[in-house]
Amino acid sequence: MKKFLSLLLAGVLLFVMAACTANENAGKETDSKDDGKKEEESAEKVLYLNNGQEPTSFDPPIGFDSVSWSALNNLMEGLTRLGQNHEPEAAIAEKWDISEDGKTYTFQIREDAKWSNGDPVTAGDFEFAWKRLLNPDTGSSAAFLGYFIEGGEAYNNGEGSADDVKVKAVDDKTFEVTLVSPQAYFLSVITNPAFFPINEKVATENPQWFAEAESFVGNGPFNLTEWEHDSHFVMEKNDQYWDAENVKLDKINWAIIDDTNTEYQMYQTGELDVSAVPSELSEQLLGEAKVEDQAGDYFYRFNVNMEPFQNENIRKAFAMAVDQKQIVDFVTKNGEKPAYGFVSYGFKDADGKDFRETAGDLVQTNLEEAKTLLKKGMEEEGYETLPEVTLTYSTSDSHKKIAEALQQMFKENLGVEVKLANMEWNVFAEEQKALKFQLSRSSFLADYADPINFLENFQTGHSMNRTGWSSEKYDQLIKDAKNEADEAKRFELMYEAEKILFEEMPIIPIHFYNQVYLYNDAVSGIVRHPVGYLELKWADKK
Amino acid sequence: MTGYIIKRLIAMVVTLWFIITLTFFLMHSIPGSPFNEERNTSEAVQRNLEKFYHLDEPLYVQYGMYLKSVATFDFGPSIKKSSQTVNEMLGRGFPVSFELGIVTLIVAVFSGIALGIIAALRHNGFIDYLAMTIAVLGISVPNFVLATLLIQQLAVNLAILPVATWSSPKHMILPTLALATGPMAIIARLTRSSMLEVLTQDYIKTAKAKGLSPVKIVFKHALRNALLPVVTVLGSLAASILTGTFVIEKIFAIPGMGKYFVESINTRDYPVIMGTTVFYSSILIIMLFLVDIAYGVLDPRIKLHKKEAS
Repeated sequence: MKKFLSLLLAGVLLFVMAACTANENAGKETDSKDDGKKEEESAEKVLYLNNGQEPTSFDPPIGFDSVSWSALNNLMEGLTRLGQNHEPEAAIAEKWDISEDGKTYTFQIREDAKWSNGDPVTAGDFEFAWKRLLNPDTGSSAAFLGYFIEGGEAYNNGEGSADDVKVKAVDDKTFEVTLVSPQAYFLSVITNPAFFPINEKVATENPQWFAEAESFVGNGPFNLTEWEHDSHFVMEKNDQYWDAENVKLDKINWAIIDDTNTEYQMYQTGELDVSAVPSELSEQLLGEAKVEDQAGDYFYRFNVNMEPFQNENIRKAFAMAVDQKQIVDFVTKNGEKPAYGFVSYGFKDADGKDFRETAGDLVQTNLEEAKTLLKKGMEEEGYETLPEVTLTYSTSDSHKKIAEALQQMFKENLGVEVKLANMEWNVFAEEQKALKFQLSRSSFLADYADPINFLENFQTGHSMNRTGWSSEKYDQLIKDAKNEADEAKRFELMYEAEKILFEEMPIIPIHFYNQVYLYNDAVSGIVRHPVGYLELKWADKK
Repeated sequence: MTGYIIKRLIAMVVTLWFIITLTFFLMHSIPGSPFNEERNTSEAVQRNLEKFYHLDEPLYVQYGMYLKSVATFDFGPSIKKSSQTVNEMLGRGFPVSFELGIVTLIVAVFSGIALGIIAALRHNGFIDYLAMTIAVLGISVPNFVLATLLIQQLAVNLAILPVATWSSPKHMILPTLALATGPMAIIARLTRSSMLEVLTQDYIKTAKAKGLSPVKIVFKHALRNALLPVVTVLGSLAASILTGTFVIEKIFAIPGMGKYFVESINTRDYPVIMGTTVFYSSILIIMLFLVDIAYGVLDPRIKLHKKEAS
């Protein structure tokens, strides 16, 4: 009896399994159909990419992050666009004049610049968009970038009005901007998606024009044709784009896959053309990957208001006890460049020399010197034993590995036992701003391509300072650099400022960021700018 | 029965209100803010953002506004994805999670019960050990490990199934397998142990003595009682599987709602936290209610209206 029953049930189980197998076979059939489709499509050039996460927003001043920029930078275009060498080039603006004092920019907008719905792109669209960026009611976290413009800051913090913002559509094709101070890198700042124009007519009719593919109106190399939120989106070549003849791809399919392992597996099966490198496989795959600079630092902040880091020599001792090279070679293993300064590689000064190379190593791993400085610092403070030091990082495996390596280095190189603590990122960010840590993990990614963007962070009271460090001389240098119209002098001021920063050492730089990706051999021409935007205008696929 | 149901419905609404209130105040008591960023932000920008989302209002005002929005089933726009409303996010994510969840539940329940019965009937035999080994493996191997293994073997090495994304029925196979194994194992073990208990009882002996067919004994007499513990776990299991699972959805790039639970808390996206919590609790409460009703159907000895009498 029992035998019969168990046979019957085993049969049921087999049936369930068979049902699964049947499905697998069914899957195969559709698979071969898919292949057929792909071959048909191969006449047109389709690129398969992954955006990682759902874009925050395609509203230019709101989508202020890399998950939005990758797409937005290819759907729209500002007055200038970063070229293949990462320098700003004429884009929607055909040419521009800069006044004698370097403060007033007059842009001539291309006659053939059009929106994807056929409307001409006008100076009014820029005026509308830039004032909207600064409007406090827009709630844009990118608004501070508009503080370069005269009247921008006052309007955004509620003290001024839109009329006082010095952006003006002189006529349909002439756009005039007056800056607070002469800034040669302004042309690079306005390549940021926050400064993209907005079709005023479309936005007035439908304030949510950016929320869906159907209503999206852009002016870039590609058009948004499909957007299934959280799943995927599709771009197709924009025939209305002024430089359409130089756009080679017909279509870009963006998946939204928030898992690097899955992304890499799909790259292996050919479902994606580009993939990041999963951290566990970085040693194996780094050789095949393309490694490019990204403007930003991974670093640690001292709190100069907390013992024992009020002492400059103790700060220096800790900084010199860190071996950045070992960290990038044996801990992160992702091909990063070790950081011995704060401004990252890739910024040319007035003589065309790289800022980082000219400034040189401002902090060096020096174990002897570190021990001497620690002793000296302790004597200065009258310490018999060093007050307890806690190093805090936000919870994540990669941060933990670096924190543990630092702990080991402080122990071996200085003989100091450092305690480790970690907390959830959001709480960590809040406490770090409130200066509640002694020594804590930090990162910085540049918002625009100029060394001043790195250096301005450490001005007294700046929202990115977060160390309690303050130097009148440093503040003055930054201020002077911002008002200096002569490029050679401006760089001199910045070189000097960075030197002061490292003489007083409120931070320990660890490494510069990079962008590491695997590319399908058939793909070429994808440009990744150090400031973080992805450029597909020149991309091609065989 | 009707009286009981009305009473339960009132209790459900009160429970929900309690959950909403607790979540609301707990959520605002965690340090951090949706506008915390590692990058540069100006104070004016921060203030503008807080004003924009009414976060500068006193907490009781925000709570009042919130209760109003729950009562009208309008959870408002997300803070992090400001061009989308929480309703849109749930409306989009839930059907996907539900689809995956329902298939997973069917696979898990049927194969789990079948495994459990076979194991109980072949108690201490080879099949029993085999079934229970599968079950122990199913419980102890986390689903994300299983998922990665399945992808690597079936999708990358053998290339018979797609790696990830959500576009056709064959895309469902791997996530279903990865997700169903754990619950299947739990159900199999529960079924086995309660079957073993039931099979030794007198009424089963009586049934055998009466000469009933084994199929009738197992399915009509034994299984019905043996399933009670399974039904108990099924309520909460169904609620959690149907509303999506963060890890599996992340690995397979499934556009379900599982990720909102985790991401909204990490980013302090208050409207999304509240939306997902209210939604999940409603489903859980309804499922538990259905389980109680199912008890009565499965076991007539459990009388639902008994409470009324007492």
